[in-house]
Amino acid sequence: MSLSFLFLTVALLAVFAYVFGRKQALSAANNDIVQLHSLPGYYGFYSLLWCAIPALAVLILWSIFADDVVTSLLISDLPAHLQNLPPLETQRLLTDIHLLAQGHQLAQAPDADLSAAVAHYQRLESTSSMAQTVMVLLFAIAGLLWAKKHIHKNYPARNNVERVIQIILFLSSGIAVLTTLGIVLSVLFESIHFFQKVPVNEFLLGTKWSPQTAIRSDQVGGSGSFGAIPLFVGTLLISFIAMLVAAPVGLMSAIYLSEYASNKVRSIVKPLLEILAGIPTVVYGFFAALTVAPWVRQMGEGLGLDVASESALAAGLVMGIMIIPFISSISDDVLTAVPQAMRDGSAGVGATQSETIRNVVIPAALPGIVGGLLLGTSRAIGETMIVVMAAGLAANMTVNPLEAVTTVTVQIVTLLTGDQEFDSAKTLAAFALGLLLFITTLILNVFALYMVRKYREQYD
Amino acid sequence: MNKKTGTTLDKVQVGLKKRYAAERRFQWYGKTAIAIGLAFLLILFGNVLSNGLSAFFQTRILLDVNLSAEKLGIGENPDRKALSKADYNGVVKASLRELFPEVKKRRAKRDLYKIASNGAAYQLRQQVMANPELVGQTISVWLSASDDVDMLTKGYTNREQIAAVRRLSDQQVIWVDQLIDKDRLERQINHDFFDNGDSREPELAGVWGAVMGSFYMLMVTLVLSFPIGIATAIYLEEFAPKNRLTDIIEVNINNLAAVPSIVFGLLGLAVFINFFGLPRSAPLVGGLVMTLMTLPTIIIAARASLQAVPPSIREAAIGVGASHLQMVWHHVLPLALPGMLTGTIIGMSRALGETAPLLMIGMVAFVVDIPQGITEPATALPVQIYLWADSPERAFVERTSAAILVLLAFLISMNTFAVVLRRYFERRW
Amino acid sequence: MNKSVLLAAVVGCLAVSAHAAERDYISIVGSSTVYPFSTVVAEQFGKTSDFKTPKVESTGSGGGLKLFCSGVGMQHPDITNASRRIKASEVKTCAENGVDKILEVKVGYDGITMANATGAVAFNLELKDIYLALAKEVPATDGSETLVENPYKTWKQVNPSLPDSKIEVLGPPPTSGTRDAFVELAMEGGCKTIPWIKAMKKKDKSHYKAVCHTVREDGAYVEAGENDNLIVQKLNVNPNALGIFGFSFLDQNNDKVKGASIGGVPPEFESIADGKYPVSRSLYFYVKKAHIGIIPGIEEYLAEFSSDKAVGDEGYLTEKGLIPMPAAERKQFADDIKNLKDLSL
Repeated sequence: MSLSFLFLTVALLAVFAYVFGRKQALSAANNDIVQLHSLPGYYGFYSLLWCAIPALAVLILWSIFADDVVTSLLISDLPAHLQNLPPLETQRLLTDIHLLAQGHQLAQAPDADLSAAVAHYQRLESTSSMAQTVMVLLFAIAGLLWAKKHIHKNYPARNNVERVIQIILFLSSGIAVLTTLGIVLSVLFESIHFFQKVPVNEFLLGTKWSPQTAIRSDQVGGSGSFGAIPLFVGTLLISFIAMLVAAPVGLMSAIYLSEYASNKVRSIVKPLLEILAGIPTVVYGFFAALTVAPWVRQMGEGLGLDVASESALAAGLVMGIMIIPFISSISDDVLTAVPQAMRDGSAGVGATQSETIRNVVIPAALPGIVGGLLLGTSRAIGETMIVVMAAGLAANMTVNPLEAVTTVTVQIVTLLTGDQEFDSAKTLAAFALGLLLFITTLILNVFALYMVRKYREQYD
Repeated sequence: MNKKTGTTLDKVQVGLKKRYAAERRFQWYGKTAIAIGLAFLLILFGNVLSNGLSAFFQTRILLDVNLSAEKLGIGENPDRKALSKADYNGVVKASLRELFPEVKKRRAKRDLYKIASNGAAYQLRQQVMANPELVGQTISVWLSASDDVDMLTKGYTNREQIAAVRRLSDQQVIWVDQLIDKDRLERQINHDFFDNGDSREPELAGVWGAVMGSFYMLMVTLVLSFPIGIATAIYLEEFAPKNRLTDIIEVNINNLAAVPSIVFGLLGLAVFINFFGLPRSAPLVGGLVMTLMTLPTIIIAARASLQAVPPSIREAAIGVGASHLQMVWHHVLPLALPGMLTGTIIGMSRALGETAPLLMIGMVAFVVDIPQGITEPATALPVQIYLWADSPERAFVERTSAAILVLLAFLISMNTFAVVLRRYFERRW
Repeated sequence: MNKSVLLAAVVGCLAVSAHAAERDYISIVGSSTVYPFSTVVAEQFGKTSDFKTPKVESTGSGGGLKLFCSGVGMQHPDITNASRRIKASEVKTCAENGVDKILEVKVGYDGITMANATGAVAFNLELKDIYLALAKEVPATDGSETLVENPYKTWKQVNPSLPDSKIEVLGPPPTSGTRDAFVELAMEGGCKTIPWIKAMKKKDKSHYKAVCHTVREDGAYVEAGENDNLIVQKLNVNPNALGIFGFSFLDQNNDKVKGASIGGVPPEFESIADGKYPVSRSLYFYVKKAHIGIIPGIEEYLAEFSSDKAVGDEGYLTEKGLIPMPAAERKQFADDIKNLKDLSL
C-alpha cells in the first residue's frame, strides 16, 4: 500500500473511532448523558487519539528506518565477494540495485549475482511495505480496542483528552526552540570546519577581509585574509545611516499619528506607511541600485565630492525607508501605552501638547523606544537583498558614507554562490559569518526585548 | 501692570509666543516626517509604474500564414505527434517573405526573420494543436514581434542612434515602419505575460509560473504555520506555567522574529534539503522555511489578540463550569480569531515578498513549466524579479518592473484584506 | 482540527521525502555565466521535444559541482555548468560519492570585456596597462626592480596615451570565475611583459603569481557583484568608470556601453571567435553518465546542445552572445558526446 493511501486509511479509521467511541459511551450510559463523566464527544476523541497516534507513530518511524534496515539486510545477504567491498564500491552497487529495481536499464546487463540481489531487494522491499501496512493497521485497531475497553460511564475521558491536547500545544511551542537549535547546528559544523583552517581570533579580530585566495589549485592566491571586522564596520555604517533616516522619521510620524492626528487621518496614513514595510526587499534593492545610488552620486559630484557608485549612503538611505514603518509601529505601541493620566497631569499644570510629549510622554516611553530602535538596528544588520543589489563587495574599513563598503549578509550570499571550490575556506567562511550574524542579532534582540518588557511592566 | 514685579501669569505670557511657536514647529516636524514617508512611497511606486506599465503591452505582427500540410512538412491526416513536430518556423518565415517579396538576399532574409519573435512558431503551434482543423487553411494571426522590435515601438530604442550600436539595422527599422503603415504591426494587451512561465525570450516570458510557485509555497506555509502558531500562542498565553522553560521559549520566539531571513535560508539548506533529503527548488521546502520564518510573527500577533480578550469572558465560562480547555476553545478562541487571522495574513505577505532564504535552497532556477504541485520545481515571484533583473536582454528591464507591480498588487491586496478584517472585527471591550 | 492538520502535514512531508525519488525532468545546476546559454537550450529543448523543460539553477560553479558530486540518484543533479574546468580535487570528491563517470562538454567561449559608457572616451588598452592600473603591487616608477604599492590614480599616469581620468573599474568579486579568468589572462598577460617579473617566474613561481594575480584593494577596483546589468547601468551614470563583464552583456547593451580594445583588438564577435582578442575563456558543462538513460531526455538535450542549430556559427546561442568553438573543435566535442567519452584531466 502506498504511504499516502495508508495514511488515508488511518485517517478514515480515526473518524470511525470517533463515531464508535461516542456511541460506546452513550450505550454505556444507556443514552442518558447526565450519567456520563464527560460529554460523549470526549469519548469519541479519546478513542480517536488512541486509534491514530500509535498508528501514525509506527508509520513515521517505519518510513524513517525501513530503508536502513532493508539495506543492511540486503548487504548481509549478498554473496561473499560482494560483501566486503570498499565503501565506495558498495555505494555504487547499491545505486545499481536501486536503479535496476525501479525498472531502469543500466549500460551493462546485470550479471547473475546482481540480478539475484535485485530480486532479493525487491522481495525485501515488498515485505517491508507489507509489514508496515499490517503493523500500522494492527496498531490502529489495537488502539481502538484498547479505548473501547476503557470506556465506561465513569471514565474521565475529558481530562485525558485535554491532557493530550495540552501536550500537543506544548510540543508546538517547542518548535521555536527547535528552530533556534536547528539554526545553530546548521551553521556550527561548517563553521568549525572553517575555524580549523582559519583561527578564531584571526577571524574575529582581523582587520582585513580579502578572500583573494586561489580558485584553482595551480594558482597561487594573492592575499587571503578573513578578518571579519571590516565587514562589521561596513554593516554598522550602513545600519547607522539607515537608523539616521528611520529613527527621526519613524518616531516623529508615530508621535504625530498617536498624539495629534485625527482618527480619519490616522486611519488613512497608518496603513499607507505600513505598505512601506510590506514592500519586498528585492524591490527596495532594485530601487536603491538604479535610482537612489546614481542620484546620490550626482548630488555628491554637484557638491564636488567623490562618491563611489555603491556608496554606503545610498544603501543606507533606502534601508532607512524600509525600517521607518517598523520604528513607527513599535513607537506607536509604546506611546499609546503611556497612561492618559500622565498627559492630563502635564496639561493640568499648563504645558502645551508638545511640551507634554517631550517632557512627559517620551521620557516615560524612552526604554520602549530605545528597544524599538535596537530591534530596528538588528533588522538593518540582517537585511540582505538591498545590500546585495546596492552595496559594494570590497571590504573597506571606513566610516565615510560616500565610500563603498560591504556587509556580512552580502558576503554570505557572494561566498555561497561563487565559482570557487565548495570546501574551501572561502565558502566555509559564509557559515562562520552566518553564525556570527546570528549571535550578534541575538544579543541585540535579547537586550532590546529586555528594555521593551521592563518598561511595559511599569504601567501595567 | 508693572512688568518688573509681574505675576506668574505675566511670566507665562512672556514665554507664550515662543512656546506656541515651538508647539507649531513640533507639529510641523511630525507632518514632515509623515510627508517624507509618503513621498518615498510615491516615488517608489511612480518609479516602478513608469518603468513597468509598458510591459503589459506587446508588439504583435499580423501574418497571413499558409498552414497547408505540404508547407508544414506533414502528411495528410497527421496525428498529434506529427502536428507537434511540424515546421511552424518555416511557415512563419514564409509569410514574412510574402510580405516583403523584394527581399532576396540570404543575409537580408535573415534580418527580416528577426522581426518576428523566436516564439512566434510556438504560438502558432499552440493554436494549431488546440485546433487541428486549421491545417490546410491560410489564416491571419497576430504573432509576437521580437523583443528588439518591441523595444523600438515602445520608444526604448533610440531611433536617432547610429545603426552600428542599435540592435536593429536601418533596413529593419524601415520594415517595421512599413508594417505599421499597413496596420500589420501594433501593440496589444500582453496576455502572455500573465499566462506563461519563465522564458529567455522576453516577449514570451510570463509570471504565471512564479505566481503558482508562490501560491504553493504560501499554501504550505499557511497549512503549517497557522495551526502551529495558534497552538503555541494558546499554550504560552493560557496554559504555560511560569518557569524557566517557558521563559526560554518566549525569549526564543521574540528573538526568532528578528533573526535575519538569510539565516533561515542556511537552516533550510542544512535541515530540509541535506538532512531530510527533500527536493531542491520545491515550493515544499520554501514553504517549510517560510513557516519557520513567519511562525514568530503569527505567535506574537495571536498572543496579543488572546490578551485582548477581557477576563470577564474567561471568568464567566469558568463560572458556569467549563474546564480550562473548554473555556479557551469555546469562548476565548472565537473572540481572538480575527486578530490571529490578521497576524497570519501579515505573516503570509511577508513570506510572499521574501527572497533571501530562497537563494539558499535552490529556488533561483529557470523553470519554464508551470508547477503542478508542491514538489515540482518552481520559483517564486520575488525570485523571478531577482532573476530578470540580471538578464542581459533589454526588454527584461520593463518586465522586471511589471513583475514588481504584480507582486505589489498581491501584497497590497493582502494587507488591505488584513486591515479590513481588523476594522470589521475590531471590538472595544 | 489543529492536531490532525499538523499530523497530516508532518506525515505528508515524510511521504514526500520517500517519494522524492521520481523525477522526470533534467536537473541542471552551476555557473551563473553559463546559465544564460544553458537556459536558452533548455527552453528550446522543452518546447520542441516531448520531454519536460529542464530545470536550470544558478548556483555558481563551485556550488554546482558540490551538488553534482554529492552522489548518483534522483535527488542529485544530472548536469552542472561551470565557467572553469573541474578541479582534480573535485573529481576525487565526485568519485568518492560514486560519481566516477563524467562527460565533459565544452560549450564555447566567453569574451571578457572592459567597457565604458558610450558617451565617454574610447579606451585602447594594452595588457600591461591593465596590469599596472589594477595590480596591488607594481614595479616602482623609478625603473628599479622593486615592487611598490600601486601609486597610479589616473589612466594617464599608467600610459600617457590613455585619457586623463581616474582609474575606476567595476568588476566581479574574488569568488567569481570571471574574475579568476580576467586576472589570469589580462593581468598576468600584462605582468609577463615586464621582463624582470617574467624572469621571477622561474625562480619563485608562487611569488610571481602573487604579484601578477593580486588585485588592488584601495578602491580603484570596485567589486561590483555578479549582476552585470547593474554594472552596465552604473557605467551609464558614471562616465569615468570601466566595467568588466562577459561579451553577451556588451552585445546586448551596445547602445549603452562600448568595449575597450585590448592590445588593439576590439571586443567583437569575430575577433573573439578567431582568438585575436586576448581575454576569453572556455565554458563547460559536466554530465553524470550514470543518469543517462535513467532521467529521460539527457541524450536528446546533449544532442540539442551540440547541434549546429544551437552552437553553430549562426546558432541561436551566438545570438545570445556565446562565442562558438571552431568547426573542428565543435565536431570533436560532438563526437565525444556521441561516444560518451569519460572525462580525463
